[in-house]
Amino acid sequence: MDLKTPNESRLTRFSVSERVVHWLVALSFLYTALTGLALWSPRLYWLASVFGGGTTVRGWHPWGGLLFVLVFASMFRNWRSQMSLDRDDRHWLRKAHHYAVHDYAALPEAGRFNAGQKSLFWMQSIFGILLVASGVVLWWPEIMPRLLRELAVLAHPVAAMISIGGIILHIYMGTAAVPGSFRGMIQGWVTPGWAASHHPKWYREHVESTGTTRAHSR
Amino acid sequence: MMTTFIKAISATPGKPAGSSRATETAAKLIDTTTCIGCKACEVACQEWNNQQVTFGNFEGTYQTLPDLAHNFWNLIKFHETELDGQPLWLMSKYQCMHCVDPGCLKACPAPGAIVQYSNGIVDFNSDACIGCGYCMTGCPFDVPKLNPETKKVQKCTLCTDRVSVGLEPACIKACPTNCLSFGTREDLLRKAEDRVAVLKSDGFGTAGVYNPTGVGGTHVVYVLARADQPESYGLPKNPQIPWTVSIWKGPLKWLGNALLIGGILGTFLHYLRYGPQDPE
Repeated sequence: MDLKTPNESRLTRFSVSERVVHWLVALSFLYTALTGLALWSPRLYWLASVFGGGTTVRGWHPWGGLLFVLVFASMFRNWRSQMSLDRDDRHWLRKAHHYAVHDYAALPEAGRFNAGQKSLFWMQSIFGILLVASGVVLWWPEIMPRLLRELAVLAHPVAAMISIGGIILHIYMGTAAVPGSFRGMIQGWVTPGWAASHHPKWYREHVESTGTTRAHSR
Repeated sequence: MMTTFIKAISATPGKPAGSSRATETAAKLIDTTTCIGCKACEVACQEWNNQQVTFGNFEGTYQTLPDLAHNFWNLIKFHETELDGQPLWLMSKYQCMHCVDPGCLKACPAPGAIVQYSNGIVDFNSDACIGCGYCMTGCPFDVPKLNPETKKVQKCTLCTDRVSVGLEPACIKACPTNCLSFGTREDLLRKAEDRVAVLKSDGFGTAGVYNPTGVGGTHVVYVLARADQPESYGLPKNPQIPWTVSIWKGPLKWLGNALLIGGILGTFLHYLRYGPQDPE
């Protein structure tokens, strides 16, 4: 597949750097989430064996979290300006139940990211900060004040639950639920038809600005 | 010889075999009114457990260390205070309290790292410990300490190795004033009440037993002349497992598991019902 010269039926959805950053975020999140789940419930402690045993998991989980927050910060910087929710987005969120049952007539048109994707972005940002803040406290319990530790043991799993819940939905949407979107994040391109039906505003902006169906990510 | 079974295991649901059998309990009584602060118990503990500690600088107190350490499990706390204008010098031996409802065990995520025996002793197993330090937050007495080299948490074992072969704990063996005694928890609580009655008749109206109910009672109980203010002895007034730990290990666990399973199952069911969005 020649990505340098995409043919007329390929729209660039995500640039190489966007994809690299996304997958670094994804892998570090997956590692940190799975090792975290090992310590969350005795029923999931077998995950600790998969990742090298309880002591290794305890030692490396915080580093996985640190890597996650660093690459997420890069993703945040790249996408923050594209993620602000406008009037259409707020309207979209109120009608999100129509989206879930494939009734798109009732929904405002989406731009490069739809309101669901934007919400996920902000949700992961907020709970990511909470996870890191509480995680640092749990990393060195021997030097942290008791009050912070008592709050962290509650804040960390609560933030993780919401964050993992969001990612379960995100993985479903990005793979099975929306055919074509996974290729957009792996190979970086989508078809014009996909863009026109899922992100019509983004598609039109692009056609207007270039006069062709060839799109470029920002 | 003392027969013991394992009563509770960290991060292990259900009750272990034999846990319901009633066995003799093991407990310590610390009568602070006859403690002379000689530190023989500290030395005996270090000797028996073969531990060495590096001492810091002299801080203007008789106290050996500011706090318990991973390699120092028995500390006499020295407190200077005042009572009705008179100076009062309080000494009390501090170590693991061997709670009936241990917060360390509740907070521990590593199966088998913390066990509670049927005699009431709460013990740490270094081979299963992963060094997360959650027990340090679960313990309302701030007893478990992390060994920075091995990354394992350590504390007083109530000399479970000695107790299991019919010996009394090392600290008790060494006490020259008999302010420390070893026995069943029931006997020692009675003995403590008797001592409190004597103290009261001697004019110590505030004397009492320290056996905090917030953690279900403890297997280390104190007789205090000022039971109205245990803080003066360096003991928490109303120790309890932190509420955040109880929520985390209680309702939140169910909510989290429901969310995890519900999320995975829910997306799958959604796919079966609605299928993919307009396929290409």
